[in-house]
Amino acid sequence: MQPIKHPLARGLIYLILSLFVAYSILPFLWTLLQSFKTVLDAHALPPVLIFTPTFSNYSQLWLNKVPAEFPRILAFLLAAIAILALVAIFVRRLPFSKAAVYWAIAGLTILTLWTLPRVVSTAEFYNYFLNTVIITVGTVAVSISIGCLAGYGLARFAGLDGVIILVAALAFRALPRMAFVLPYYWLATLTGLRDTYFLVIVCLVAVNQPFTIWMLRSFFMEIPREIEEAAMMDGAGRLQSFLRVIVPITWPGIISTSLFTVMLAYNEFMLVLVLTQSKWTLPVAMAQFTGGEDPGYITMASAAAVSATIPIIILIIFFQKHLVKGLASGAVKG
Amino acid sequence: MKRKTFYQFTGPSIFLMLALMIFPLIMAIWLGLNYVTYYNINTPVFTGLSNYVDVLADPQFWRALQFTLLLIVICVPAQMILGFVMALFLDQIAARVRGVYLAAMLLPFIIVPVVGTMMFKQLWEPSGLLAYIYQVITGEAFFYTEKSVKALIILQTIWSATPFSLVVFFAGLQTLSPELLEAAAIDGANRRQQIRHIALAHLQPLIVFVGLISVMDTYRLFDNAFVFTQLNPIYHANTLMLYAYQVAMQVQRLDKASAMAILMVIGIMVVLVPFLISTYRSQVEER
Repeated sequence: MQPIKHPLARGLIYLILSLFVAYSILPFLWTLLQSFKTVLDAHALPPVLIFTPTFSNYSQLWLNKVPAEFPRILAFLLAAIAILALVAIFVRRLPFSKAAVYWAIAGLTILTLWTLPRVVSTAEFYNYFLNTVIITVGTVAVSISIGCLAGYGLARFAGLDGVIILVAALAFRALPRMAFVLPYYWLATLTGLRDTYFLVIVCLVAVNQPFTIWMLRSFFMEIPREIEEAAMMDGAGRLQSFLRVIVPITWPGIISTSLFTVMLAYNEFMLVLVLTQSKWTLPVAMAQFTGGEDPGYITMASAAAVSATIPIIILIIFFQKHLVKGLASGAVKG
Repeated sequence: MKRKTFYQFTGPSIFLMLALMIFPLIMAIWLGLNYVTYYNINTPVFTGLSNYVDVLADPQFWRALQFTLLLIVICVPAQMILGFVMALFLDQIAARVRGVYLAAMLLPFIIVPVVGTMMFKQLWEPSGLLAYIYQVITGEAFFYTEKSVKALIILQTIWSATPFSLVVFFAGLQTLSPELLEAAAIDGANRRQQIRHIALAHLQPLIVFVGLISVMDTYRLFDNAFVFTQLNPIYHANTLMLYAYQVAMQVQRLDKASAMAILMVIGIMVVLVPFLISTYRSQVEER
């Protein structure tokens, strides 16, 4: 649309948009504020906006006991995260292959997550965080690998069965989850697989597969056929040319899809709620923070809500372009 | 690509969907025709349609259906109109600041639904900011009652779903041809006419798409109603999914809940079937 020229009208547009932004982020800002308050401040009426911040809600949430050398451990952790982030950003300038650096970073992260509970006494919340990480990473790895194969096949195959599979997948995407989750629950109870990472991951992969293959297919369709045809002329097989030639150039699309898959797995509530008893992920654990009589509820729930949001916000800051592109391009949505 | 290669590539994915979507769906139909609770989970007893009779005679089911339909009727138009208007405004501002605005507006959408609901709820706790403002304006304290909890669920649904329509409509507006608008302006079309006859016409497929997705998403709303009600029946604010969950996990009537899930599947077909047919047609054409 042509731009509106009138300065007053333009000012009004900025004002309305700013109000809408305020409305969008108010719940987050308020919760952030509450999470740094003491229990007393959080219950003050009228609500206080200026107060002495405390980190005790966060330390109570993550740790059973704050050790004496905690500031040093925290400083070490933050420094380690900063170094890893810098390495990840400047990976091109390093004299090692990219893949090796990424594997090293992943390895170090796992090592840190695993060592941490052995150095400091972490609280339940840390276990829920670890469960979430395990389930999310597992789901993304399985979902994207089989999804890429299927998405590529569907992008290149012209038969009618391909279309039927796509439409059927879309139908399953749209159906209420309850129709799948109850049979999962029944089977899981019968086989004793309830409350295992394996079952949760497999079920999450399955319910997200329609979305994954639709989105990946749309990215593979943008790649001209001539590219793999040239590779196949040179004697590479179908699979080989797919892995060596097609996957590397579709990488941005695959990252986009992975980002959505991360969010779907990280956000999933009902399926995990039904299929787990103790291996709760963050959303399930947090839904159990009920009000009731406990006066510490507000500050703890706030700290938990902010803690669970920060990983997603970091992810989005790094990959905002992919997110908007995926949302805008996709005739699909999670 | 040959058919054989195609099935080699898609095999794992198809197997998983067969095993964990089609098979469970058949099983849900079967569970709905049996008597199964937690106590006889190994030995279901076939009872025919009695679970369906049970569901249809259950006033709580009808109340949940009513509330779910209310949510759809209010939230879907609200979030689409709000999203469209904000997309029009966003289209007007300088490209430099647009990214910042868009990123902030996306927050409700990217946040974990359960967490977003908790944050929304924090504003309405006894010491919450909005509860206090409500009290100052109306002179009455804010309480969780049937009405207010339902209103909060509606508001939160709109809050979290608007960014989706906003982004899709905004992206659609970017593909609007400037020549067309210019031609219309030369022919004397004012801004309102341009929006109505050009922008809306251009966005029509997207509007249908967003509408369908929103209806289907609202139909199976679960997370935010769970957090707001904490499964407390006094608010009468169950959505269909939430009530089915309670029947399955709290009352332990797996059979009745399965019958309810199947009824929900049949219900969504009204919207889903036209959507699938149009997708099928466009895909067949495209290939």
